[in-house]
Amino acid sequence: MISVLAGRPAVRVAVIAAYVLLVEWARALVSTAPYVATAALILGGVALVVSGAGWPLERLGIGKSRLGFRILGGCALAVVLLMPAAARANAAPILPAFLALPAVVVSIGEEIAFRGALYAALEDLGGAPVAIIGSTALWTAAHALSHPPEFLFAVAAAGLLLALWRWACKDLVGPIIGHVLADLAL
Amino acid sequence: MNRFVLLAGGAAVYMLAAWMVAPGFYDGFTPQQPYNWVCPPVHISGNLPPSSGHLVIKVINGVSDANSAFTDDGQVVIGFLPGAFDVTGKTSITVDIKPVSPCPKPSGLTFAVNTYLISADAPLVKKANLVMRYSDIVPAPSKVYRATSADGPWASIVALNEAQPFTIDTTTDQFGYFAAGYPSNADSPGGSSSQVLPIVIAALIILVLIAGIPLAMMRRRQAPDEGEADGAEP
Repeated sequence: MISVLAGRPAVRVAVIAAYVLLVEWARALVSTAPYVATAALILGGVALVVSGAGWPLERLGIGKSRLGFRILGGCALAVVLLMPAAARANAAPILPAFLALPAVVVSIGEEIAFRGALYAALEDLGGAPVAIIGSTALWTAAHALSHPPEFLFAVAAAGLLLALWRWACKDLVGPIIGHVLADLAL
Repeated sequence: MNRFVLLAGGAAVYMLAAWMVAPGFYDGFTPQQPYNWVCPPVHISGNLPPSSGHLVIKVINGVSDANSAFTDDGQVVIGFLPGAFDVTGKTSITVDIKPVSPCPKPSGLTFAVNTYLISADAPLVKKANLVMRYSDIVPAPSKVYRATSADGPWASIVALNEAQPFTIDTTTDQFGYFAAGYPSNADSPGGSSSQVLPIVIAALIILVLIAGIPLAMMRRRQAPDEGEADGAEP
């Protein structure tokens, strides 16, 4: 099975994309049920992390080289992601404390799934442009059930920004840090 | 260099897209439906008035049926078990939920939701389960308060574990005025205030600038030594 996936990039993309979309949509639907929101978010985040299994860390964009640059890049990404909300701080939602851990797990899971595994699989299939556009499109589709339609353009733009960072800096640590900080702040 | 131009372009596109929808960045943890206020906080725009609720519960074989009354916007739900009412002389029970205006402002308490008057034409003999939704842009309430008059006095009822995010649950054996909030001298358990966000952003910018300058200088010094060894990296 693994050898078939390794030899056929298109099949690998389809399998990872289907898995990630299934996890994201299931998480969005299950988390609306009473008493299970926190568990659904954490399990969904962990399930997304699993999508990175089998990939070398460097293919996912994870590494210790240039760590200072990666961490600072994540902080800079968080600034960009949060700036529109900070400019209207009075209308910014407040994340309850009990959602902090789920937010961290989901953020890490989403980055490993979309800008990590999916990006790498799409890059193998058609190069960087396919990886950037494809991961952004799937990221937007994955949020269709958890977000009101009017937010999807902003979701797509955030996905594009994070995918461009992944491409330009060959780095996933920055997007992970930026995404986690942005989720914790809101 | 082109990579960073595209990255900057991506940042600009994001800023524009996020500016078009408040608050901007949103990752789906908060409720999709905005809270409808009787007395909206000063920074809220586009507020809609809250809805009322009405329910007629059947009395079958001398026992009131199980049912739930809720406001049309879902901000208040009260559930009744079978036989929850004293049905003496009744063939049905009517329950009404109405948002209270003007908003009660009891001293020493901060209400994080609208006050609702929940009434019925028969008294309760079993506790009813009350769920109140609250807004994601105000600090979360820690207690549910009940009063027999909008002017008070307000008594706190023990809040149960929330079944869903941004809801507070309790049980009640009486009808009356209900609101959720917290003592004014206490910190809300709902997490950091939205006022903290600009400070967080400012701190991140300072961190990036202060740590970024020496990092860039260090990389510039290292670059001639490393030559093309680091060529794959930007």
